[in-house]
Amino acid sequence: MIKPDKKPKGGYAARRKLFIASFLLPTFILFCIFTIYPLLRGLYLSFFDWSGGSETMNFIGVDNYKELINDEIIPKAIKNDYFLVFWKVILIMLFATFFAVSLTRLKLREHAFYRVVFFFPNIISVAVIGVLWSFIYNPHLGFLNAFLSLFTNKPVETNWLGDASLAMWSLLPPSVWAGIGFYMLLIIASILSIPSSIYEAASIDGAGQWKQFTKVTLPLIWEQFKTSVIHIVITTLNGSFIIVKLMTDGGPDNQTQVLGYYLYQMGFKQYHLSYGATIGVLILVLSIITTLILQRLLRRDPIEM
Amino acid sequence: MNEAASQKQAGLWLSKTVVRLLLLLWTLIVLYPVFWTFVTSLKNNQQVMLGKPWDFPSVLHFENYADVWNRAHFGSYFMNSILVTAGSTILSLALASMTAYVLARYSFKGRGILYFIYVASMMIPTTLGLIPLFFLLSDMHLSNSLFGLTLVYSVGTIGILPLGIFFLVGFYKTLPKELEEAATIDGCSFSGIFFRIMLPLSSPGLVTVGIMNALTVWNEYIMATVLINDPVKYTIPVGIAVMQGEMQYRTEWGPLFAGLSISMIPVIVMYVIYQRQITGGLTAGALKG
Repeated sequence: MIKPDKKPKGGYAARRKLFIASFLLPTFILFCIFTIYPLLRGLYLSFFDWSGGSETMNFIGVDNYKELINDEIIPKAIKNDYFLVFWKVILIMLFATFFAVSLTRLKLREHAFYRVVFFFPNIISVAVIGVLWSFIYNPHLGFLNAFLSLFTNKPVETNWLGDASLAMWSLLPPSVWAGIGFYMLLIIASILSIPSSIYEAASIDGAGQWKQFTKVTLPLIWEQFKTSVIHIVITTLNGSFIIVKLMTDGGPDNQTQVLGYYLYQMGFKQYHLSYGATIGVLILVLSIITTLILQRLLRRDPIEM
Repeated sequence: MNEAASQKQAGLWLSKTVVRLLLLLWTLIVLYPVFWTFVTSLKNNQQVMLGKPWDFPSVLHFENYADVWNRAHFGSYFMNSILVTAGSTILSLALASMTAYVLARYSFKGRGILYFIYVASMMIPTTLGLIPLFFLLSDMHLSNSLFGLTLVYSVGTIGILPLGIFFLVGFYKTLPKELEEAATIDGCSFSGIFFRIMLPLSSPGLVTVGIMNALTVWNEYIMATVLINDPVKYTIPVGIAVMQGEMQYRTEWGPLFAGLSISMIPVIVMYVIYQRQITGGLTAGALKG
């Protein structure tokens, strides 16, 4: 730290203050306008009845929240959100951990190549991923049905995204496909920070790969593991609606509706803006509650190294 | 003892082989859809409708690219994306580096709270701010404008500013203090120290943050689709989604896939050049959190 008393000189403290303010304030003001204000305004709007324009904003207290409770689509959307959260956490963490351990502990010569390749889907736009996978699922022209038809007598014509019982499941592969690489890298970095002497000691004691994983790796990467799970939960509750928007449009018949997309539809398609903001509050509340519960469930005593 | 050791060796070899096969399988699953996108971008409708999806086109229809670039306006989407990406990357980098430097190097009242506000904002669902942000921009007459979109990307809810601050605070803390002290004794002003000494020194960190931000902005879809309604001002992700939406009225698979390829090519080039910075930066950011 550069202390103010380091170089006593006339006006030093004032110049220092001015410098700090001039470097911090412009950024902070812009940040308040474009990040903080919209979030607070969203909370505020949820207590009004508003559909755009300035004259028609009426305070209605908790009526939006009452509407939320009685809305049949909301429980459906929550269920779908948590379906995605649950399966994405399980599948992404399973694959990411398996790949991370394989690429670090097995001492494969080509590990760098796989790291680069596996991360690749993470840098593609979600718009591209949504369109690309819609075409993979296309009932007549898509890759999936053509591939499955190789093993059957008559051509497979499953409508993956249009069939109510399949649509939610079909949204999983693109989300998992696009998510694994990032979490794999996090876990790899975490494993590489474990001193190799611990593994050597375990190996001398006769611990095989599996035992080394459960007794050494997993306990020592647990904090990173927990952070990753919570990160998946938050990003899914927030961002999964983009893939829904692009691949199923919430359909068929709201079967794949999620809260984020319902907010988007209410706000920008039906101009029920304050209700959309209320759904935003619900997403915030669910994110916080889920994070707190997971923090508790996944808590383990920290290990001193 | 020896036998047990060789048995263990054989077991290790077997598990390595199984793992290698699984890794190769996942490589295929990751790369094939991308490869397939490029192949399909060279087919015409007939080849897409009648052939198998994995067939190679007998005739390569490179005109799909010209078609999507000119007639489907991907040329202007591309320029819009470049403008918005360059503008918001530079702006947010400038703002983030100044804030991060002061947060890392100066002690003053409120420093902890300011840092906390930036970091905590990364945890709040951005969807909550989506509707108010739209009206804020209309009130400022900045909706439907690439400048407005650039501002939102730079300092708005998608979070590249706090992530940049977070990453660069960590970076500035690792730089040695002796240079600054020497410069202070030589009578260099506060801002002079930053612009002439610290900023050049931190260029590796700036490059990492800049690339991460550029990728995020180049790929961003939801803000762009909410804030921009004028087709002349679409960015590439919006253009792709709109084109897919129109596919139910007229089918043009080749050009659509050419559009997907056009969107991916700059990203792939960046990834090949800056692979280390991209993976390193992203994980460093998340690990410290």
